[in-house]
Amino acid sequence: MPDEFPRWPALVGTVCSALGLGVAGYLTFEHYTSSSSLACADNGTINCLKVTTSSYSEVLGVPVALLGLLFFAVMLVLQLPPVWRRPEPTVRYGRLAWAVVGLCTILYLLYRELFSIDAICLWCTGVHVLTFIVFCTTTYATLTYPPPEGAVA
Amino acid sequence: MPNPSTRPGSQSKKGSGPNAAKNGGSKSTGPRGTGAKKGAKKTAATTRFAERQARKEEEARLARQERNKRYAFVTIGLVIAVVAVLLIVKFAGGGSSTSSTADQPSPPGGTPIPAATLAKLSSVPLSTLRSAPTTGILTTPQSASGKALTTDGKPQLLYIGAEYCPHCAAERWAMYVALTKFGTFDPEPGRIHSATQDGNIPTLTYYRTKYSSPYLAFNPVEVYTNYLNSSGNNYVALETPTEAELNLWQSGNGGSFPYVNFAGKAILPSAQYSFADLQGLTFDQVAAQVGNNATTAGADIDASANQLIKTICTTMTHDQPADVCS
Repeated sequence: MPDEFPRWPALVGTVCSALGLGVAGYLTFEHYTSSSSLACADNGTINCLKVTTSSYSEVLGVPVALLGLLFFAVMLVLQLPPVWRRPEPTVRYGRLAWAVVGLCTILYLLYRELFSIDAICLWCTGVHVLTFIVFCTTTYATLTYPPPEGAVA
Repeated sequence: MPNPSTRPGSQSKKGSGPNAAKNGGSKSTGPRGTGAKKGAKKTAATTRFAERQARKEEEARLARQERNKRYAFVTIGLVIAVVAVLLIVKFAGGGSSTSSTADQPSPPGGTPIPAATLAKLSSVPLSTLRSAPTTGILTTPQSASGKALTTDGKPQLLYIGAEYCPHCAAERWAMYVALTKFGTFDPEPGRIHSATQDGNIPTLTYYRTKYSSPYLAFNPVEVYTNYLNSSGNNYVALETPTEAELNLWQSGNGGSFPYVNFAGKAILPSAQYSFADLQGLTFDQVAAQVGNNATTAGADIDASANQLIKTICTTMTHDQPADVCS
């Protein structure tokens, strides 16, 4: 008999997405308030303001923080336990694809931080770590465990 | 002894065992018993087949699960490897980023400016610069009598500014136009703007640029960035002037931005034109107006660049190169 679909991916994904949503919301708020109250160390390498006010903080005029907010809002829905229990390939692979989109974005932003902006933003790094964890759990659970059978909550 | 399985109706239970076909009792059965036996055999075969299939499917499922698990681990491992490579290249191979931002080889600050834009800025005809109306000029370089300022035997042009400073933002345009008549930048300046709360004037930055010229040395010091520190009470520091530079700057204009020293023989104590003439324009709009004396920004920049060129020629390069200084 196939293993019962475990609960941990949904649990980890939901918690990380909720945390990511919070951090992205904070960064979005700071973006629209001139980042004047952004709580972050400033010692050269670690410099949130330099990152969040750089030209790379927007993509086609849209703040990256806002895109992060959108990413985590959608991901939070996709990571909810009832949605994990849905067997449809669209949901399973849609969630995986969304996680890959997030991963590619954070790799690009990490590259920009390291090689273009020359500074690391701790809040952004937090978002990157959360996105990576969500990617790992989603990838592992989607590829390893067969689709849940039957009912949808 | 007759086998109980020969009794009609009992074949489905007892005849389905694996030894049922070998059982001697089957010889004494009638036509109906033979059919039941065949049915039992068929059922047993079907069951064995189903069990084998189920086992195969389970094995295949487990193998698939193991394979997918490997894929997942490999994918995650690859991502970790990519991040590790980025970090290694940055912090081990590609130059470190430390708290001291001076003297570090790295790409220029700001956003890279398209080569076509830079080429346009560096190729404004001298005739255009010389014919620019000077109605917007507020300050011109003043002669000074300080100690000669040199770098490696070349007269040094010292610029002290700040990325947040809108006056510096205005002056940098003219400086780029003028300096590229005497040499080249590599890395080139990047595109920035003065602080958003301080005019938000589009400009370029000389932070992490390198200027080469057979006639003069250019020493830019961008003291502050264009963004505030975490407590919001000051701009984040970028480069620190030396003691000697600090003294020149303090005595030259009291330590305000921008400050330009022409090898100790002349100084520019403030921006030559008002940054207000650039306010509201984008970087590309300003760049497009450079060399166009019919526009306010273009005329201001061109006239300022012309003043800088004249001062460099007379105080620093002994009117060299001739095609620029004549």
